[in-house]
Amino acid sequence: MTFLVFIFLLFFLQAESARISRSSPIFGPRQVTGLEGGSVTVKCFYPRSNVNRHDRKYWCKESTRQCATVISSNGYTAQDFVGRATITDYPEEGIFIVKISKLGGKDAGFYKCGIGLNERGLSFKVKLDVSQGSKVPEEAELYYVELEGSVTMSCTFDEIYASERKYLCKMGKNGCFTVVDSYRNVNLTYQGRVLLSNQQTPGSFSIYMTQLKKEDSGLYLCGVGQYGEKGESKELDVHVYEETDVPQGRHVINGVIGGSVSVECHYNRQRNYSIKYWCKWRKNSCTQLISNTVGTMSAQHEGRLVMHDDPKNGTFTILMNQLKAEDAGYYWCMTDDDTERKSAKELRIIDGQPALTGPKDIEANVGTKVTLPCSYPCKYYSYQKYWCKWSNTGCKSLLSHEQNQTGLVVDCNTENRIVYLTFDEVRNTDQGWYWCGVSHSGHYGETMAVYLRVKGDVVFRSETSEDAAIPSTGSENNPQNRGAVLDDSSLPSSQESNSSKVLLSVLLPIGAVCLLLATVFVVVKFRLLKRTELVSVGSYRTNISMSEFENPREFGAKDNAIINEAQETQLGGVDEYITTSGNSEGAEEPPKMKRGSKEEVDVAYTTFLLQANKVTQDKA
Amino acid sequence: MKTSLLFWGALAVFLGAALASDYENEEEERIIVDNKCKCAKVTSRFVPSKDNPQENVLERNIRIIVPLKSKQNITDPTSPLRTTFVYRMSELCKQCEPMEVELTDRIVTAEPSNNCTSTDACYTYDRNKCYTTTFPFLYGGEIKTVRAALTPASCYAD
Repeated sequence: MTFLVFIFLLFFLQAESARISRSSPIFGPRQVTGLEGGSVTVKCFYPRSNVNRHDRKYWCKESTRQCATVISSNGYTAQDFVGRATITDYPEEGIFIVKISKLGGKDAGFYKCGIGLNERGLSFKVKLDVSQGSKVPEEAELYYVELEGSVTMSCTFDEIYASERKYLCKMGKNGCFTVVDSYRNVNLTYQGRVLLSNQQTPGSFSIYMTQLKKEDSGLYLCGVGQYGEKGESKELDVHVYEETDVPQGRHVINGVIGGSVSVECHYNRQRNYSIKYWCKWRKNSCTQLISNTVGTMSAQHEGRLVMHDDPKNGTFTILMNQLKAEDAGYYWCMTDDDTERKSAKELRIIDGQPALTGPKDIEANVGTKVTLPCSYPCKYYSYQKYWCKWSNTGCKSLLSHEQNQTGLVVDCNTENRIVYLTFDEVRNTDQGWYWCGVSHSGHYGETMAVYLRVKGDVVFRSETSEDAAIPSTGSENNPQNRGAVLDDSSLPSSQESNSSKVLLSVLLPIGAVCLLLATVFVVVKFRLLKRTELVSVGSYRTNISMSEFENPREFGAKDNAIINEAQETQLGGVDEYITTSGNSEGAEEPPKMKRGSKEEVDVAYTTFLLQANKVTQDKA
Repeated sequence: MKTSLLFWGALAVFLGAALASDYENEEEERIIVDNKCKCAKVTSRFVPSKDNPQENVLERNIRIIVPLKSKQNITDPTSPLRTTFVYRMSELCKQCEPMEVELTDRIVTAEPSNNCTSTDACYTYDRNKCYTTTFPFLYGGEIKTVRAALTPASCYAD
C-alpha cells in the first residue's frame, strides 16, 4: 500500500514541479539556441536573499523521471559535460551563469536552472535548442524586477521608423494588447505606471514602468508600426519577483479640496542620489514639481509644495496643500538611480473638510502686530504643531505658541486648540506664505497655508511716530522678533532644542529663579510621591519656564517614552514663552503672557513634581 | 496511519490530474494561502463550468506536499520520523506576519489573525531561518557538546 502511495505522490510532484516553475522566483530565458559545435550561455536570476546567495546553484537536464544534475556550484559536473560546462555565481547581483560549449544534437532538450538541493520549487525551466544552421534567432530580452519595483526597457529600431507609431504590448491569449503607445493610449491597468519616451537617436525609445505587480510578469513586445501588420518588434520577457521586507508605503492618497496631503517616498539610504524629485505623471512625461536641488517652481505650485528629506530613514516627504480638483492624478517619487524603485502614488480628491482651519489670507500694515491663528481638531491633540515660512527650497520652522492658560488639561474639547504665529511688528519682507502643520513621531501630517500680505510704505523708518521707533530698535536687538527662527525645534527632525545664545542669556536668570522655587518644594514632593502621579497627568503641556531643569533631565528620562514626549511638547512651550518675555524688554508685554504670581508658583510646582517624579523613577 | 497516507496520495493524484488538464489558464490563478511551514498551498481560479461551458465557476485547489522523511521534531535529527500529518484549514489560513494597515490618517502595523502565538510544529524548514542542533563530539579523549547547523545555507551571517 505504501508503494501505491509513493507512485501517486510521484505523479503529483511531477505535475506540481512543472507548474511551480512559472510562479517560482527564479527566472531565466525560456528558450536558448546554440549552434552545433558552438556554445550557449544561460543567465538565471534569483532574489538576493541571504540564503539564496549561499545556497547551491544547479543546472539539470530533465528526463521523464527526474532532473539529472549537469553541473552545480558545489563542484559536481556530470560525466558527459566534463570540460564543457561551467557555472558561475554572482551572489551580489543575484545571477548565476551557465555556459555549455561543444554542443551536440543530443544536448537539446529541457533543462532547469535552480537553487537548493532538489529541483522542486526554486527552479526555472529552460528549453535548449541546438541549431544546425548558421544563424541563431534573437532571444527575448530579460527583465527581472522586484515586486513594486520599476524597470526601464529600451527598444532600438532603425531610423526609418522615426515617425512611426511606437508601442509596447503584452502577449495574451488573444494576441498582443497595447500597454502604451506614442499616440498616448495607455491600457487601463497600466494607468499612471508607464511612460514611453523617445530617445535621442530617432527610432529608438524607452519604456519606463513602475509599481510592477505579479500579474505584470510575462512576454511583452515593443515595436514600431502596428503589431502583426507592419513594422518591427522585439520581445521582452519580464518577471516580477517578491523580495522580502521592503517598505511599501501606501499607493492611494486621499485629499479634500482645499486640504492637504503628505506623501512619504522611500529610497535606499545606503546610496547617494544627486537628485530626488516629485513629478506629476502625464501619459508621455512626468513633469517635475519639486526636487531636493534648488530649482524653480511653477507659479501654480507656489506656496503649495514642500519636500522634507530624511536621509537617516531613507524617506522624503512631500507635503502638498491647497488641493484643487485638478490635482487628482498620479504622482511619482523619483531618484536619479535607474535601478531604484520609483513609486507611483495616486492622489484622489474626496469629499470632506480639511482638519486644520483658520484664515487663509491675512492683510496687515507694516509695523503692526499680526497674529496668524491655526486651529486644529482633537485628533491632533497629541501631535506636534508647528508654523513655518515657506520658500521654494523648504519650509523654515518658526516659533509659534499656543494659548493654553488653564495649564491643567483634561478634556481636549474644552481647549482652544489654536496654534498662533505672532509678529510683534510686521515688515515688508515678512510677506509670503506661512504654513501651519502637524507632525507625529517623525511623520509629517496635515498642513495649512496662509498668505500674509503686508501693506504700507516700503521704508519703515519714514514713519516718524515715536511709538514705532522704540519697537524698531528692539527688533534689531532681538532676532526672535522677526518671526523667531529657532532651528526647527518644533519639527520632528531635530528633537533637541538648541537655542541661540541670546535665548540662553535670558533663560539662565529665569532658570535660577525656578531653581530656588524648586528647592522649596523638594520636601513637599517626597511626601506626596503618590499624588505626583495624578498631578503630572494634569500638568502635561503646561507652559512654564523650567527649561533649565528639563534639559539635563531629558537624558535621564530617555527610557520613558511617554514622559519624554510630554517634555518635548513642554519644551516648545517653554521656549516660546521665554522668547516672548525676552521681546517684551523693548516692547510692551503681550497681555496673554501675564500671569499672577500665585498661578506661576502653582504651575512651577506641578512641573517640578513632574520632574522629580521622573528622577525617582530613574533611581528606582 | 496508512489509511491517512493513502488518502493524501489519492488527493495528490486527483489534484495532479486537475492541474495537468488546464495549463494555459494559470495566469488567472490567485494564491490564497501559501503555508511554507506545512507545505500547503491554496489557490483559486475561474474555470468554465462543466454543466454550462459558457459560465465560469470558481475552482479552489489545495496542494499539499507531504514530506515523508521529515522528523517529528525538525530541529532534532535523532527524533523518529513523522507519521501523522494534520492539516487544519483554519490554521493554514492564519496570517501571522504583521502588515501595515491604514487607519484614517495613520499607518499602523498589525497581525491580521489572532492566536498567532500557538506554536504548531512545522513539517519542513523555513529557508530563511537557521536551524541548529547540538551533538556530543569526542576530541582528545574529551566529550564536548558542539553546535551544528542543520541548514548551512541559511546560517550565514550577512
